[in-house]
Amino acid sequence: MTTARQQTPIAFAQQRLTPKMTVAHGMEIPLEFSSAEIEHKRKASLGICDVSCFPRFGVKGRNVVQWLKENKVEIPDPNSWVQQGDSLVLRLGNGEFLVEDQLEGKLCAALDGAVMPEAYGVYKIRRNDAALMLSGSHVRELFSEICAIDLRDGALLPGKLVMTQMAGISATVLRQKFNGEDVFRLWCDGTYSPYLWDTLLKIAEEFGGGAVGLSCHFKEMP
Amino acid sequence: MSMRLPKQNGEWINRSKPVKFTFEGMSFEGFEGDTISSALWAGNEHILGRSFKYHRPRGVLSLANHDVNVMMTDTVDTNMRGDVVAVKAGMKLAAVNTEGGVKNDRNRYMDKLAKLLPVGFYYKAFHTPKSLFPFWENIIRKAAGLGVVNFNYPRILKRKTHRHCDLLVVGAGPAGLTAAIVAAQSGLEVVVADENAQAGGSLTYDRAGSPEPLSQLQELMAQVAQHPNITLITGAYAAGYYADHFVPIVRADGIVKVRARAVIVASGVFEQPPVFRNNDLPGVMLGSAAQRLIYRYAVKPFSSGVVVTANAHGYRVALDLLQAGIKVNAVVDLRADGESSALAAEVARKGVAIRKGSCVYEALPQSGNMGVRGVSVCAYDEKTAEADTANIETIECDGVAMCAGWAPAAALLYQAGTAMRYDGNVHQFVPERLPQGVFAAGKVNGVYKLEERMRDGARAVAEAMRHLGMDAPAVEVAAHSESSPSHPYPVVPHPNGKNFVDFDEDLQVKDFINAAKEGFDNIELMKRFTTVGMGPSQGKHSNMNAIRILARIRGVAPEKIGTTTARPFFHPTPIGHLGGRSFHPHRLTAMHAWHEAAGAVMSEGGVWVRPAYYAKPGMSAQDIVQDEAMSVRTAAGMIDASTLGKIEICGPDASHFLERFYTGSYGSQKVGEIRFALLLDEAGVVVDDGVAARIADDKFYVSTNTANAAAVYREMQRWLQKWQLNVWLINVTGAYAAMNLAGPNACRILSKLTSDDISEKALPASHFMEAKIAGVTARVLRVNFVADQAYEIHVPAPQARGVWEAIMEAGAQEGLRPFGTDAQRLLRLEMGNHLVSHDTDGLTNPFEIGAEWALRMGKPFFVGQRSLKIIAKRSVTKRLVPYVLDEGYSGEMPQECNLVINAAGEIKGRVTSIAYSRSAGRVIGFAYVDPADVAPGSRFQVRADSGAMVDATVVKTPFIKSSKGDQA
Amino acid sequence: MKLLKCPVNGVRPLSEFVFGGEVREMPDPNTCSDQEWAGYVHHRNGAPGMKKEWWYHGPSGTWFIAERDTMRDEVARTYLYGQEDKQ
Repeated sequence: MTTARQQTPIAFAQQRLTPKMTVAHGMEIPLEFSSAEIEHKRKASLGICDVSCFPRFGVKGRNVVQWLKENKVEIPDPNSWVQQGDSLVLRLGNGEFLVEDQLEGKLCAALDGAVMPEAYGVYKIRRNDAALMLSGSHVRELFSEICAIDLRDGALLPGKLVMTQMAGISATVLRQKFNGEDVFRLWCDGTYSPYLWDTLLKIAEEFGGGAVGLSCHFKEMP
Repeated sequence: MSMRLPKQNGEWINRSKPVKFTFEGMSFEGFEGDTISSALWAGNEHILGRSFKYHRPRGVLSLANHDVNVMMTDTVDTNMRGDVVAVKAGMKLAAVNTEGGVKNDRNRYMDKLAKLLPVGFYYKAFHTPKSLFPFWENIIRKAAGLGVVNFNYPRILKRKTHRHCDLLVVGAGPAGLTAAIVAAQSGLEVVVADENAQAGGSLTYDRAGSPEPLSQLQELMAQVAQHPNITLITGAYAAGYYADHFVPIVRADGIVKVRARAVIVASGVFEQPPVFRNNDLPGVMLGSAAQRLIYRYAVKPFSSGVVVTANAHGYRVALDLLQAGIKVNAVVDLRADGESSALAAEVARKGVAIRKGSCVYEALPQSGNMGVRGVSVCAYDEKTAEADTANIETIECDGVAMCAGWAPAAALLYQAGTAMRYDGNVHQFVPERLPQGVFAAGKVNGVYKLEERMRDGARAVAEAMRHLGMDAPAVEVAAHSESSPSHPYPVVPHPNGKNFVDFDEDLQVKDFINAAKEGFDNIELMKRFTTVGMGPSQGKHSNMNAIRILARIRGVAPEKIGTTTARPFFHPTPIGHLGGRSFHPHRLTAMHAWHEAAGAVMSEGGVWVRPAYYAKPGMSAQDIVQDEAMSVRTAAGMIDASTLGKIEICGPDASHFLERFYTGSYGSQKVGEIRFALLLDEAGVVVDDGVAARIADDKFYVSTNTANAAAVYREMQRWLQKWQLNVWLINVTGAYAAMNLAGPNACRILSKLTSDDISEKALPASHFMEAKIAGVTARVLRVNFVADQAYEIHVPAPQARGVWEAIMEAGAQEGLRPFGTDAQRLLRLEMGNHLVSHDTDGLTNPFEIGAEWALRMGKPFFVGQRSLKIIAKRSVTKRLVPYVLDEGYSGEMPQECNLVINAAGEIKGRVTSIAYSRSAGRVIGFAYVDPADVAPGSRFQVRADSGAMVDATVVKTPFIKSSKGDQA
Repeated sequence: MKLLKCPVNGVRPLSEFVFGGEVREMPDPNTCSDQEWAGYVHHRNGAPGMKKEWWYHGPSGTWFIAERDTMRDEVARTYLYGQEDKQ
């Protein structure tokens, strides 16, 4: 009678790779696609990791900034992001926010449980992001093939996020340090993600990269 | 006999890597770095191809990617240009446009028929009678052709990548390389692209017998290497100029789409052939082609030649030929005064006879036009362009180098919107007014002296920097003070013609005269009538002479003739390059894997891929669809409805917003109620329908048709901006998955998975509730689109597959089966529900589909309302009605879009939906009919594809037994 | 490919945008004549010149106004609806 298990939106595209799965934050997610040795090689070249299991919280509304401040959330500038503990706070355009908990982050749960008084006029946004982590020496070459805008270091500055098109679909992109490593992050609507996953993987494999599981980016499993 | 020279400094070939290949069945050996043409020429093979129209033998002309009569096939690829494609080991090459081989081409008789084939001949001769045109077309296309397309061409991925830089320099000659270096020194990120296999431009071949240009090139390249912010791409042509400095650079392995902040075009010039009889024979070539053969490939262009010239370049070529040990029998200079520079003295000192004021009257062919045996030379008056044959004499030779002038490689400049002017100083079109951020440097800019070209590169960078908001010093470039590099009219008439202007299309001087006589004396008209410049080289070697000839015919200056703009691409670009890695974005629902496992046959709906039906071995699709539909009528069925657009309208003004956006009334709607949502555009045309569930005082959950989701959300956003209401829109189309469980057993199945009361009483039709289904919080909507007992269950996408499986399992004993969109279309039809944009089109108003009930005309405002008030004053011309065909009808099945025709033969409407319904036992559908024929029982006729008239009867909906009273 | 500046997201290639037609001022539907209304709904002025146009940045869902010279295909400026004066 209870089937609360959650699937990553990319599950369909991943199943033929028969990854070893784990459950993180209630979501079934690939832990390993291959041996640690192979995955670390992939990651150094062009690794693509599905981190859709990270908890996320989206919100918009008239007094959203005030509401977030009262809930002790740092407010980044428009189209920017800040790291608050182990959580990322993304400001998408002016009035919409996306919070993602990584590692020990607990901000989403706190916000999810926080009261949203009617007077504030704030509304929670249900999301179904595919969330990816891209790493390695060939990431920019990958972007050069799927994205028309300039994502070189000089263009995608630290703390900035970009809403653009990747391989023809809308996506949000930023650069962050994760577990001490430089990675690119990409979020897109989950229903497009099997397509995007296949597209990214094909290019990654041409560069000697490929799919890496959650374990590849974690010193310890969440 | 080999034509290969000893090692030339700076040569492009790698003598340690021999390359064996065959051409027309004969074996040849070249070196790595050779092009097909250079390797064949080295092997003393001079007949490299046949011309397009007259099938004349042709050899090397330019060696600069416009030797378009030398096109090869290697059995896989076709139309490979011999002058630029690198030769590879094991190639089996043949010329493309021959019948029976390049030497014995059976179509060579065409040359003898030339008199019978004047310009415009095809237009005139074969247009009437029309019925015979396909016959002639077939013959002409076979005779005048290029390569044959290989339909088994392997798919090889050609990457398309984006590249961003401050400055793009097109052309890596002395001007371009200097520009790149100067820009890089100022900190700019520079991309330099050059179509040649190696950088250097004229420095790689135009040396006048001196070692100086090569050391200058080496110096420039050493500087380029020092700057990490210069990216040099060779073997890559700039294919076109697109808005805002967007230039695709095409290489053999793909396309780099460069977006620059500024562009410098330093693309140089194309050498232009002087026009004289038989100037197309193998062995007659442009001076620069002879130089390229010598210095790039170490190949002798000929052994004993004549230089025909009208500029200083001819003397440079003579010195290069002499340096390579080639005999130069004469330099024939069209100009009365000849060349006054030191070059002429040097040529004379080396013992070469210089004939001023003379022309090559004709090149004398070897038998079968297979080569040159000499030239006849006589006096020439360059002012009147008349040859005086009184004292004509023959000079023996086996080759001719032609140097009469240049045309700017200005395609990109034209495409960018540059205004050009004719500069009488250099007798060339040069940029007059350049668009923002686009600059020209070097020969394309009319600057010829080497040191001035390099200075011109620096000048262009200074201007580009100022365009980019940087400070830059002024750079002065000296005006051209030597003899003109181009001759204003290097054309020698000959009564027997064959003095070619356009080698692509075999156009002779008389063709232009005839075209002008027929009235095609405007450059654009002449181009189309003669086809000058319309061949594969796109006028690179022919347009300038065509303009000069037309100017002379009309007695005006070339500037008055104007030029035509060469469109992208600069060189032919393979379709495979344009295709690249094809991206086809599509959306899959959370249950996609389940559908595939269940044998679903997928169809595309908008950007979605979803089940059309679930295949069953041994059953036809039609039968399966009927079965799937029948299970909904008799037991239960479930369809993945995740593709519906889903939008949350939040905020205190939410109902107010909906009242303005949709036709219905929402202010009075109670939480838990669902109302129809009909969307019109401002003209009152029906564009979408869906439902709006009020899930809180300040929150509505609205659905849209699958295909319209993005557009409806966009329109909502736009109207919201205009209306400035306190409303927040959230597009949750992808965040929620949905499934529609329908049929008499639906409620019973669902009840097994929830403790909430979802019975008909607790949750009647058109109501909404939040319920826990299989442990997941779901939005349950009673929308009776396909059946009376139907539950739309919306759940967060990550949990949807689990819920779907739980329901399928719970329904296993209840006859539940999945159904696809094909059955859904039939089911909704049986229920009497029309589909927007299937049963309506881009002009349909609500009155025509009987949707008056959904209009709240009394509201203060809704989109389309004002237009409806106008439309309502007019009589309706057609109405959508439900109809059935006669019981047991077994004749020809009408199709959607078949016309409704009345007794008088007038078109009154059309069929929009038609299907056999097993439940109704009849063929049912929707059709537009005469408004007089809408009463149930009215008969009308449909004309089927064959012309047969089929009787139909208007009925009431639903077509099947249903609790549904009227349209809802 | 042409570039266009979204007032919120900056300069992007045209492929990220959807064209939304010319900005037209709606006459008061309650007081205007049928003729005026039909003109508003159906009539477009194709003559080249400086036009105000709706454009939509897809990846971020941003509508804005571009003032574009349709003769020269040059965009003079872009701004959010109603914020013409703030730019």
